[in-house]
Amino acid sequence: MSPDQEAFLAKKKEKAAARRQKPEEKGELGMTSLMDIVSIIVVYLLKSYASDPVVINPTAGQKIPLSTADAPMQDGIPIFMTMRGITFDNKKVVSMTPEGDIDPTTVTNHLIGPLYDALAEEVDKAKQMAENTGKPWAARAILVGDQDLKFSALVDVMYTAGRAEFADYSFCVIRKS
Amino acid sequence: MPRKKFEEEDVQANLLPVMNIMFLLIPALLLAMEFASMASINVSPPKFSSTPSEPKPEEEKKEKPLNLKVFVMEDGYRVSADGQQEGAEAGKATDSKAPTIPLAKPGAPLNDYDRYDYAALEASVKKYKSLFPHETIVTLSAESKIPMQAMINTMDALAGRTCKIGKALKGEGVPDDCYFWQPVVEGGAG
Repeated sequence: MSPDQEAFLAKKKEKAAARRQKPEEKGELGMTSLMDIVSIIVVYLLKSYASDPVVINPTAGQKIPLSTADAPMQDGIPIFMTMRGITFDNKKVVSMTPEGDIDPTTVTNHLIGPLYDALAEEVDKAKQMAENTGKPWAARAILVGDQDLKFSALVDVMYTAGRAEFADYSFCVIRKS
Repeated sequence: MPRKKFEEEDVQANLLPVMNIMFLLIPALLLAMEFASMASINVSPPKFSSTPSEPKPEEEKKEKPLNLKVFVMEDGYRVSADGQQEGAEAGKATDSKAPTIPLAKPGAPLNDYDRYDYAALEASVKKYKSLFPHETIVTLSAESKIPMQAMINTMDALAGRTCKIGKALKGEGVPDDCYFWQPVVEGGAG
């Protein structure tokens, strides 16, 4: 072994010894980039939720009709109508027959009794709230129907909502891309 | 003999691989999300009373209204304007034997939403719109079994399938390709 090689090996050993004695450094994670991305996502999600005054969450198995309409959703009280029943305020108020008609025991001259009771209660609350906040009551019902919902059922719901003092109606649709 | 003192060391988990996965998961989940863009069709309530209200003197002076009515039947559309059914025999207000616009797909089941001739309906209302450019209201009714999707498609055809009314509702002018975009849903008519 030449003196150069010996010197090189000795230096290498010294370095290795120095490395062993050196205390272990604690690695720190740079959180800045993570916070940037999280902030962007939070703003994006808040914006997308804030743009719609009413968030419509279809009930299970509901197929909302498709349309070319592009009018934005306006504030209102949603009524969900599926082939299984009519849901209002997260409660199923009326059931449907297997043929897709509203349970005939609940309908009298187009008026759906249980739905009317639920709507009337909600109207009272909405009016009270409007009075307290000083804002006018919208009196709008958002009808979230199903593609296969029969016209007769739709008309009965509209009539019942009308009797419960709703003056405006909107059909909720999914915009065709 | 004195006991040896053990100093407890703080062990910190290495979060780097977890963060790497999280960074990949966030865009993947955002891309996987399906956003359904909701819209609304504003309709007027159904009328059950057939009692005509007395015309006010101010209304009499105005242009005669079109009174466009579309009735959706299981075998097609019946279109009428100002009480006269389209295609009815001379001197007769209605001709209930056949629809004005027959089905595009005769014999198709009711849940086949393309069974109606939406293009023919749109062409028909376009003709009325050219005669009554200020009219925007159409009365819509249907037989009891007609599905909601067929009604919505009919409303789209009546409004014009290329009609973008959203901006007009915010104060801009109504586009030329929007015909009858204010439907009045009437129950039990026909």
